[in-house]
Amino acid sequence: MIRATKLTQPAAKAAKYVAGIRLLSSSPIVAAEKSSNAFKPKADRTQSMAFTKKDGGTKRVRSGTTTSVNMSSANPAYYTELPKPKLDLLSKDTATATRLNTFMQIDEGFLQSTGKGRYPGHLAADFKLFGKPALLYRQVTQTLVDQMAQNAQTAPKRATVLDGLNGAGKSAELLKLAMVAATSGHIVIYGLSTLPWANSSRPYGPGFKSDLFVQYELANELLRSVSAVSREVLSKVPLGKSVALGKRTLESGKTLADLVDIGLQTPSLSHDALDQLLEIASSQTVVPVFIGLDEVNTLWCKTSYRDQDDNVLPANRFRLAQSFLPFFEGKSLAKGWVVGATSYAEVRFMPKDLKTRLCPPPAIPIANPDLARDPGVAELPFDVVKVERLSSPEAWGLMQFYQKANIVTTPVTEGLVAKKWVYANGNPRQMFAGVTTYF
Amino acid sequence: MLHLLGVNLPDQKVVSVALTYFYGIGPLTARKICSRLSFHKECKLSELTEGQLNQLSGVLSEMTIENDLKRKVAANVQHLRQIGTYVGKRHAMGLPVHGQRTRGNSVTAKKINGTMLRKYSTVADTAFARQALGLFQAPLSRHQN
Repeated sequence: MIRATKLTQPAAKAAKYVAGIRLLSSSPIVAAEKSSNAFKPKADRTQSMAFTKKDGGTKRVRSGTTTSVNMSSANPAYYTELPKPKLDLLSKDTATATRLNTFMQIDEGFLQSTGKGRYPGHLAADFKLFGKPALLYRQVTQTLVDQMAQNAQTAPKRATVLDGLNGAGKSAELLKLAMVAATSGHIVIYGLSTLPWANSSRPYGPGFKSDLFVQYELANELLRSVSAVSREVLSKVPLGKSVALGKRTLESGKTLADLVDIGLQTPSLSHDALDQLLEIASSQTVVPVFIGLDEVNTLWCKTSYRDQDDNVLPANRFRLAQSFLPFFEGKSLAKGWVVGATSYAEVRFMPKDLKTRLCPPPAIPIANPDLARDPGVAELPFDVVKVERLSSPEAWGLMQFYQKANIVTTPVTEGLVAKKWVYANGNPRQMFAGVTTYF
Repeated sequence: MLHLLGVNLPDQKVVSVALTYFYGIGPLTARKICSRLSFHKECKLSELTEGQLNQLSGVLSEMTIENDLKRKVAANVQHLRQIGTYVGKRHAMGLPVHGQRTRGNSVTAKKINGTMLRKYSTVADTAFARQALGLFQAPLSRHQN
């Protein structure tokens, strides 16, 4: 017979404790919780638990919206065909003073060369509503076109930058100039938007054996647009010297078109090809060159890109910006013109000192010699052309076109034009917003 | 879905966001990794080449993340407990560690603190037991002392 021995106090406590555990662990509540815990899935943070995605095929990304209406059964009172006003194509022959205050069409092929569906500034909404890319031919446009014709013979010593308020028409003027230059036999190097050069939206990387960072994709795109617009003109200009690009060497008898082709075929040589193109084109006198950069302020800004040590990179640390900066800081072309257009849409890429120099505050007296020596108000290395508000005849031409394009359905009277013009303070974008919004 | 170092990363996410799916990597560290490897801000995981992915794996394997980091944190808490510090005792009791009030609030601390220690205990790991034995943990740890 086994004698039950009396347990010591701590041991008895421990025994009770263990018995309690056994009781608890065998209880139905605990058992239910155990079973529910067994089926509870572990939270997977990489997948949404709110809904399950269907398998099979990739998700189609819809870009833009389209509304399809069966016109045969549509109510004619509400659904009308989009009017297509006949417009002259803007070219060197049609860019004359007789076309002032009229709308002229921009060549679709020219716009496609810059990239499908890409338009400068905020013009995408305008062109969509017009049904075709078209811009108003203004007095400032005529002045710039005349200047370009002059510069095609003798290049000016300094570049020109178009400046003005938001929506004044800077990007539009640059686009018209580039269009006229393309039809005048210029080599056109047109940067539709330099914002991707600075806003960290495109691939970049450290250069090989260089402090500068490279952006092969952007350089390749620029070369592609140059080739698409100025192919014939490029084939007329000989290299004049033998050019080595990577492992290939081009003889002096080859043309700029061959140089651009190599840059296009080999993205890693895009920067070298672009640099050689700019060097040869700027020094030759066979054909004039037009270099146009929109949002040119990004050449002097602090970009959103970072180096390997996570420090913010200024624009001049990029090879692409370095290729164009000399033209805006004193280097001149042999024949042709360098034009830039500023943009205040992305304020973070407009350097403060450049903004002060472009639009000095009225409180600073220009006659003060001490302030004149201040680098903050020192002379800019380029000429500035201010794109001002629309004049009354231009506003009239704008509204006339809006009526033809069925954007304005009421009769266009002097009173209506004056009202829209005054409310918008002569700003073209505000006038467009004034006729397209209802509230 | 990209499987990298034991973690499933969503392909369509931007790299700097996808990297935060690793335990031990937050937005700042993710940004530093992207800067080091020259990935632009809008770069998605699906756009990375194999070479870039290998570079990314190399950088991540140099860092203490995921299970290594969890083990390190658990070891730190265990060390504090073993040397008998105030912080260690608070972890053991499952109470706030940084001097917060316990008269009210401290719900999060009671839920989270000492989780590392509970994984090392011999008590059955059920929610009910944890709740019930929260009261018993203190005297048990006193006995262990």
